[in-house]
Parts: sequence; structure tokens; C-alpha cells
Amino acid sequence: MADRVHLEEESCGLLLELEHILDSDPLIDEVGFIHPTQLAALIGVVDCDSSGDLDTLKFFNRDHKLGISTQILFPLYKQAKIIFFDEIERYKKQTGISGIWGDETSLQRCKSTLDELEIGVMKHSKVLLLLSADLATAWNSRRAIVLKKDTLSMYMDELRLSELILSYSAKSDQAWSHRRWVIKRIVGKLPNLQEVIGKESKLVERIAERSKMNYRAWNHRCWLVSYMTGEQVVYELKNSRVWAGLHVADSSCFHYRRRLMMRMLEDFCAKNASVSVGSSSEIYDIWKEELEWNKLLIKRYIGREALWLYRRFLSLHWLRDFMTQLDSVIFLDDELHLLHSCSIIPDSDFDDFQAQAMYSTTYILWLARQLSRSHAIVLRQKLQVGDMKDLLNSVCPQRSFFCDMLEE
Amino acid sequence: MGEFAADRHVKYILSVEKRKDDFESVVMEHLRLNGAYWGLTTLDLLGKLDAVDADEVISWIMQCQHESGGFGGNIGHDPHILYTLSAVQVLALFDKLNVLDVNKVASYISSLQNEDGSFSGDMWGEVDTRYLISCFSPVKNKLLKNLSYDRFSYIAICCISILQRLDSINVERAVNYIVSCKNVDGGFGCTPGGESHAGQIFCCVGALAITGSLHHVDKDLLGWWLCERQVKSGGLNGRPEKLPDVCYSWWVLSSLTMIDRVDWIDGQKLVKFILECQDTENGGISDRPDDAVDIYHTYFGVAGLSLLEFPGVKAIDPAYALPVDVVNRIFFGR
Ligand SMILES: [Zn+2]
Repeated sequence: MADRVHLEEESCGLLLELEHILDSDPLIDEVGFIHPTQLAALIGVVDCDSSGDLDTLKFFNRDHKLGISTQILFPLYKQAKIIFFDEIERYKKQTGISGIWGDETSLQRCKSTLDELEIGVMKHSKVLLLLSADLATAWNSRRAIVLKKDTLSMYMDELRLSELILSYSAKSDQAWSHRRWVIKRIVGKLPNLQEVIGKESKLVERIAERSKMNYRAWNHRCWLVSYMTGEQVVYELKNSRVWAGLHVADSSCFHYRRRLMMRMLEDFCAKNASVSVGSSSEIYDIWKEELEWNKLLIKRYIGREALWLYRRFLSLHWLRDFMTQLDSVIFLDDELHLLHSCSIIPDSDFDDFQAQAMYSTTYILWLARQLSRSHAIVLRQKLQVGDMKDLLNSVCPQRSFFCDMLEE
Repeated sequence: MGEFAADRHVKYILSVEKRKDDFESVVMEHLRLNGAYWGLTTLDLLGKLDAVDADEVISWIMQCQHESGGFGGNIGHDPHILYTLSAVQVLALFDKLNVLDVNKVASYISSLQNEDGSFSGDMWGEVDTRYLISCFSPVKNKLLKNLSYDRFSYIAICCISILQRLDSINVERAVNYIVSCKNVDGGFGCTPGGESHAGQIFCCVGALAITGSLHHVDKDLLGWWLCERQVKSGGLNGRPEKLPDVCYSWWVLSSLTMIDRVDWIDGQKLVKFILECQDTENGGISDRPDDAVDIYHTYFGVAGLSLLEFPGVKAIDPAYALPVDVVNRIFFGR
């Protein structure tokens, strides 16, 4: 029993120590959970006398980097959790109603204890979230308090905390969701919304660099598109091209481009209700350039599924929304040419070329199925269904039924 | 390829529940109700649900319920639609839906429906993000895997349908919202314009199936996208260019089953892939061969085998994600 009390006191000390570090350095921008031996090495740089007991090493904090010993995670989390849930319980009681918080009359009552409780909840939830990023109850408690105070600086603090957590827990859905909540709250309060959206987009790019094919990160960036101006959309498209060219296997970054392209198309159609997209418009040039750039990547990076799927999208809309019947004949000839050049499998690098042949074949078949009747007839006349069947049978026999869909 | 180690998996599931003394298990406490659903459904599929004390589970679940009617992921945690579905599903497994105040749960769910037909996950109201759980390894200091994909529209519709209160939400609007998330590739994203993802597709197709609205789906086109998820090893991925993962055996396969295109993938090769992901010594199934097992992938591996009609595994309903006999009991009284 005495042992337990001692243990609890100790972990309570851990919690206080960590909260003190967080308070005294609000600019911490990186957190890592570090094995004590590594921690010793880190501390050793600044502190010569580090050969002592590894168990005494708990935290590392320098240049706004915070390291926490993996040894103390369990007691630290347990203590933070007990205190947090205890406080949140009292807080809900104080504010009168659990569920809908912030009832005015009860707020008047114990103002000082309430303030203390709020400070406590904010402190402890922060520690908990650093250790367990998807603990929704902790995020909720922060939202309740921030919403009540409703100050811009508190909202900005929340963006900072979620960024800190995303720096090592880039797939935390709660942290991403919290950002969207904050941005929705401050949209009307900001003079420079476009700047914030632009920065947010850059943040996603930085995180996507470290955390490959991160669906939530890219989903967040797609969400930002609806807050962008037309110019911003064009800027994003041009500016994120280099990145995409270096990450051709990241299908999500091509989906982001899809989203931007569609936004442009929607804007264009809204402005020019009755006109079809003419060859003199900016969007026509951008779309054409995108198709050419995509073809370039396809030829440079052999057998990349994401590139071919992106091409399905680009070509389908190109034919549907930009092309006259006559133009489309020329375009489809080019695509068939691409198919033929991609379905040659040399002996070396067999796998990649095999994949390239498969993707190019299914690309054409997919287009043939999805095109409107008149375009599809043109394409199907050019394609010999029998030839396509042979081709498909040789590159992916298990999907030969794709051809059957064309015969209907 | 090893044999299917059903008994070991049962042992593994029963042992997970007892693990409470390390960091990795306590940081998952907030979604214990999800874990209970995964574990108990697997036990039922393997015909071993009687290995747990039903009364104990049910009394714990009822302690997770809030005044609002919604359930939290564990005692003391805020309510969320996700855990509410898990609670209802587990009660259904035990044939104990009668302990619920159905009106209360139904009104919690219907209160989360928005004007446009979509659903929020809780009072904080983010519309319809899929729910993903990331398994965090503090030691390696990196994310290991995503644990679950869900979608609030599906969750709401599935839950309210099990409670037989579909009339308490606006089904037409809910369906219209889901249809607005459809992409040109035939798949669905989590919001209009969102990237297609096998987890989202399951949720959308499942919700459409439950509401009898599958005519909104271009089955050949969606089937095309889904069957392209099968990679050389036989496993399925959730998006283009990703590695195969056992959990997609469920998301992709259940969707293909609902749109009647399951023969578009190679079932034999998929069975082989799932069996290779077993820990044949200590039980459990992992995301990929030789990775560490967890309860989530154990459930989806077994559920995938069930859809592939693997011997010794009960049939699972692809839309409700419950054993077929449980679904029949709910709707046809056995
Ligand atoms: Zn998985």
C-alpha cells in the first residue's frame, strides 16, 4: 500500500514536471518518445555527468524539441488520465449540464474554481493528447472551453497544438478534424483568411513528405479547396506540380489535383452556363498541359498505377467537356498510339513493363466503357475488340471480363 | 500455406481483453467498445461466443451509455455515433437488444442528422469524416497502422436499421448525400469530391444496400475499381499503389458481395494471403505476413474468410457486418 502511494506521488511529479516544461516553452514544435539510452546520449551532449542511473532520465527539452523517456509513458499517462477525467467530471458538474456546456447562471456561481478547473482541463488534456492523439474526449473538452472563451489567440493555440501532434502522429484523424473545427470557427474572424488557407496547404505538403500516402492529410488539403479563391486554385495547381512529379506513387496527391481541376471546371461552367469550354480559355490550356505532363511522367516512370488512373480522369473530362467530335478522333488516335508503345514488353525489367502494359490496356478499355455513345463508337471502331481481348489475356488474364463489357 | 488456426484465434481474442498493464493497451482504452465488437463478432463467427460472460459484457456496455442515448467508447468517455453502433451490434450478438431504450438511442442518432442528409459523428459535428484509428507505437515512434474506416452515414443507417427505426431519420436525404459523394471512378469519398477509398466505398454501398438504394451504384464501374485492388500476392489494398492489407479483405470483398461482383477477384489467392497473415503459434491475424497481430485485423481476416465461404466460419452479412443468423434473428425473429 505504501508502495502504491509512493508510486502515485512519483507519477504525479512526472505530470507536474512535464506540464512545467510545456508551460515554460510554448514554442515546442517536435515531440519524440525516446528510449532512456538514447535520452542519455542526447542529454550527454549538454550534461557531462550522464553516466548515472538511466531510470532518473525523464525528459529532454532543447531548441524547442521535447523528448520523453519511453520508460515513464505508462505511469505518466495513467496519472494524467485520472486527473483529467476527475477534473472534467467536476467541470461538467460546475457548468451545470453535461452535454451542453456553458450555462450562464451556473457560470456566475463559483467563478474562481471554474477558472481553475478550465486551466487544469486545458493542461491535462494537452498531456493526454501528446501521449494519445485520438482521445476524442480530451479534444472535446478543449473545444468546449475554447468555444466559451472564443478568443482568436486561443484558436491559434489549438492550431499549434494540433500541428505539434501531427508532427509525429501524422495520421491522427482527431488532430486533423480539430484543425477543421478551428478553421471553421475563425473564418469570419480573420482579415487574412487566404493566407491561413495557403499556409495550411503548405503544412499538408510538409507532412505528406514525411508521411507517405497519408489519406487524412490529403483529404484535409482537398477540404481547403472550397475556401480558396480562383487564383489560389491555379496557383496551387502550378505550385504543387513539382512535388507530385517527385511522388508519382502517391495517388492521393493526384486526387488533390483532380479536386483542383474539377473546381476550375465547375467555376468555368458556373460563369459560362451555355458555352462549352473553348480552346481559347485558360482552363483549356491548363487541362491540355496537365495531359501532356501526365504522359511525360507515364513514359518516365514505368508501370505506375496512380499515373494511369489520373489519366483516366483527365482524358474522360477532356473528351466529354472540351472536345468536338473531330478533335476527339485525333486525341483518341494519340491515346491508341500511347497504348501500343506501352504494351511492348522488353525482356529486361519485366515486372514494371508488364504492369505498364496492363495499365495502358485497362486505361483504354475503361475509357471505351465510360465515354458517351458517340465518342465510344469512334473509339470502339478503332479498337478491334478481338485484339483487345488477346492483349488483355496476355497482360492480365484474370480480368479478361473487362472486354465483355464492351461487347454489350 | 498453413491451416486455419481457429482455436488459437479464439484463445488470442480472449487473452487481449485481459491485457491492461502496458502503455499500448491503455492508449486504446477509449475505443474499447470497438474492440469488443471486433473480438466478439469474431468469436461468434467461429462459434465460440459462449466463451465469454454475456452478463458482464452487457452490464459494462450499459455503463458506457450517456443521458443523450449515445454510447462512449468506454466508461466516462464522451458519446459518439461510432461506439453507439458497436454497442448495438454487440447487444444484437447476444440477442439482448431488449435491454435498450430504443427510442432514446434512435433519437440520439436522428439528432445527429444534418439538413443536407449527412450525419455528424457527435455534438462537435464534423460531418462525415471517416473514423480512423491509428495504432501508435511509442517505442518506434511511428505510426504502425490504421485501424478502422467508418463513415457516419453508414453507421447511423446501420444502427437505426438494426433498431428497426429507419423511419426516425430522413432516409431520402441521407441517400442523396451519399450519392453526392460518388466519383467518376465509380467509387465513393468521405465527402463530395473526396478520394475513393475501399473503406468509404463499403460504408456507402452498405448504407445504400440497407436502404434498398443500390440502383444508384454503377455496379460494373465500381466493381472494376474494386477488383483492381487485388495485387499480385492475392491480397487486397484500399487505394491504388498501397500495399495489400488483410482488413481490405473485408472492405473490398463485402462491397463486391453487395454489388454481386465477388467473382471478379481471385478468391483462392485471397484465402491464401489471409492464411499467411496468421500467427499460427499464438493466434491472431496481422495486416500483412510476418507483422504483429491485432484484434482488428483478426476480425477482418476471419470476416473475409467468411465472405469467401471458408469452412468452419459462419456466414457474415456484408451490409450489417454481423453474422447472418444474428441478422435473421433481428428481422425475422429467427
Ligand atoms: Zn489494415
